[in-house]
Amino acid sequence: MTAPRRLRKELVDLQESSLKSFRDIKADDDNLLRWTGLIVPDNPPYNKGAFRIEINFPAEYPFKPPKISFKTKIYHPNIDEKGQVCLPIISTENWKPATRTDQVVQALIALINDPEPEHPLRAELAEEFLKDKKKFVKNAEDYTRKHSEKRPAD
Amino acid sequence: MDSDIEMELESDNDGEFDDDYDYYNTGEDCDVERLDPKRADPEYFEYECLTVEDIEKLLNELVEKLNTILQITPSLAKVLLLEHQWNNAAVVEKYRQDANALLVSARIKPPTTAVDAASTSAAAAAQLRLSSSSGYRTSTASSSTSSLTTAASSNPQQQQQSQPQRRMCPVCASTQPNDKFYSLACGHSFCKDCWTIYFETQIFQGISIQIGCMAQQCNVRVPEDLVLTLVTRPVMRDKYQQFAFKDYVKSHPQLRFCPGPNCQIIVQSSEICAKRAICKVCHTGFCFKCGMDYHAPTDCQIIRKWLTKCADDSETANYISAHTKDCPKCHICIEKNGGCNHMQCFNCKHDFCWMCLGDWKTHGSEYYECSRYKDNPNIANESVHVQAREALKKYLHYYERWENHSKSLKLEQQTIDRLRQRINTKVMNGSGTWIDWQYLFNAAALLAKCRYTLQYTYPYAYYMEPGSRKNLFEYQQAQLEAEIENLSWKIERAETTDRAVLENQMDIAEKRRTTLLKDFFPVIVKT
Repeated sequence: MTAPRRLRKELVDLQESSLKSFRDIKADDDNLLRWTGLIVPDNPPYNKGAFRIEINFPAEYPFKPPKISFKTKIYHPNIDEKGQVCLPIISTENWKPATRTDQVVQALIALINDPEPEHPLRAELAEEFLKDKKKFVKNAEDYTRKHSEKRPAD
Repeated sequence: MDSDIEMELESDNDGEFDDDYDYYNTGEDCDVERLDPKRADPEYFEYECLTVEDIEKLLNELVEKLNTILQITPSLAKVLLLEHQWNNAAVVEKYRQDANALLVSARIKPPTTAVDAASTSAAAAAQLRLSSSSGYRTSTASSSTSSLTTAASSNPQQQQQSQPQRRMCPVCASTQPNDKFYSLACGHSFCKDCWTIYFETQIFQGISIQIGCMAQQCNVRVPEDLVLTLVTRPVMRDKYQQFAFKDYVKSHPQLRFCPGPNCQIIVQSSEICAKRAICKVCHTGFCFKCGMDYHAPTDCQIIRKWLTKCADDSETANYISAHTKDCPKCHICIEKNGGCNHMQCFNCKHDFCWMCLGDWKTHGSEYYECSRYKDNPNIANESVHVQAREALKKYLHYYERWENHSKSLKLEQQTIDRLRQRINTKVMNGSGTWIDWQYLFNAAALLAKCRYTLQYTYPYAYYMEPGSRKNLFEYQQAQLEAEIENLSWKIERAETTDRAVLENQMDIAEKRRTTLLKDFFPVIVKT
């Protein structure tokens, strides 16, 4: 009941706000509960590419949190090979109905730019990040070059 | 049930015996009677088994008491008590020191309040009364609920009552008249329908008094009365109240839910320690502190560590320790079918110890050493591989004994059942009355009690640092074990054992158990 009205409003607001780091925001034509967008990070080693994400809203939205997954492969301690990401703001325990998708996306972008190796999804990457930062940055840059999408021109 | 019968039967005993009994136990010169049970019995524990109604009454009394002192609503009083372990005095003291800080720490007010006039304690106190008597602001007067006042009274400058305004709810993005909006002390305002759906979603997840404001990063708590004002479905209201009650009981340091399946009893004790409480309804016994099976002399942390370890390693242990052993003399395969570790081979009649397979003759009380684990003295110089083997060996030593006593307990239960049948047959054949054989049940009950304690001495010993204290512990443990096996042996052969000898053995075993607990079960009492 609540979900479509709120989602339509959020989608319009997000599209109008024209964020530099989150673009190309679209809802599926036949399904307002599934959005896609392009994350454009500012910090190295991810600032050479862009990453496609998918946001899935439950029917009970906004009383239950959305789920986010990466469609573009990324070399990051907090994002696993399947594209799953652990973001506290959208965990069931922490979720607040008044939290807007732009706040969620901001939290996601902050996590991409500054990985949190203390609670990783990929332990081996977190270890590399902490013990051999140079090697991590190089691997991540190579990976980004190979797998990520092109950054928008502007 | 057994104990009831015992009591009756005891008093029904023939007069002469009764007189003797009383004569020796009621005199002034009797030391045992005069001893304070708190000192004499290391397991002595005072507690009460209460029903949900009793506890509701008890908690409501605490709430009412605080209401009278501070002049606040029951809903608010409950939150404050919950946050302070139901310590009325602590709440009142904190309130007198800094009412504002108290409300912030209990998550009733946000850290920096919109109404900053409440900076002085007096003003905060006034605010506490105001907020408690008024409750949750709606934007225009709500006629039906007396506990809710208008925002007009608190923020008059924003209100124009003549012209009802409309605004958008940030959650459902629909525009509604102001009087549909509710907010907590933090001022985050949402429409009635969103609050209601939100509450129901939270209750469905088992959350009750911890429900917070819907705004991002706002941790102000939703008090009980707002939830119960908006949630009208009886099922959800009941659920909320059940969960809230659970949280209240869990936050009260002196209360514990009985862990028995489907048991509604709540145990209360002012002594918060690792002693055994037994539910009067379902007869489940448990450690009052941690709620697990009673585990004296081991403490709560150690037993948790031990049980986790056993759960991890049990496969290996099961594989290594088989259920059968060969007779050390004639090598015939023997399955242990009784609880007693003093084995007699049915084939060659050799007496041996099930644990160490040594000759039982060497198990006189002074030489009973098979409960003691002998460290390899040269271990530090050995390779990692040997050390690992040694660690496993050490663990298996304790685990086998732990597991063995646990099995013995079960087997001895079967012994009691067989005993019951044998006694029945005897009574039918006219050799003695049912009453005459009651002492055997007492002996069996005592045996179970002693073996239970013995079982729990093994995790204790496993985690003990080597040294003189461990030596003393293992000495006492060995003594207890020897007497328990003696008792078990005598009970299994009850018909041929003299009653006096058996009762003497009971006394010795129980004394050994109490001595061990007195020395090694130091209960730290927190009140």
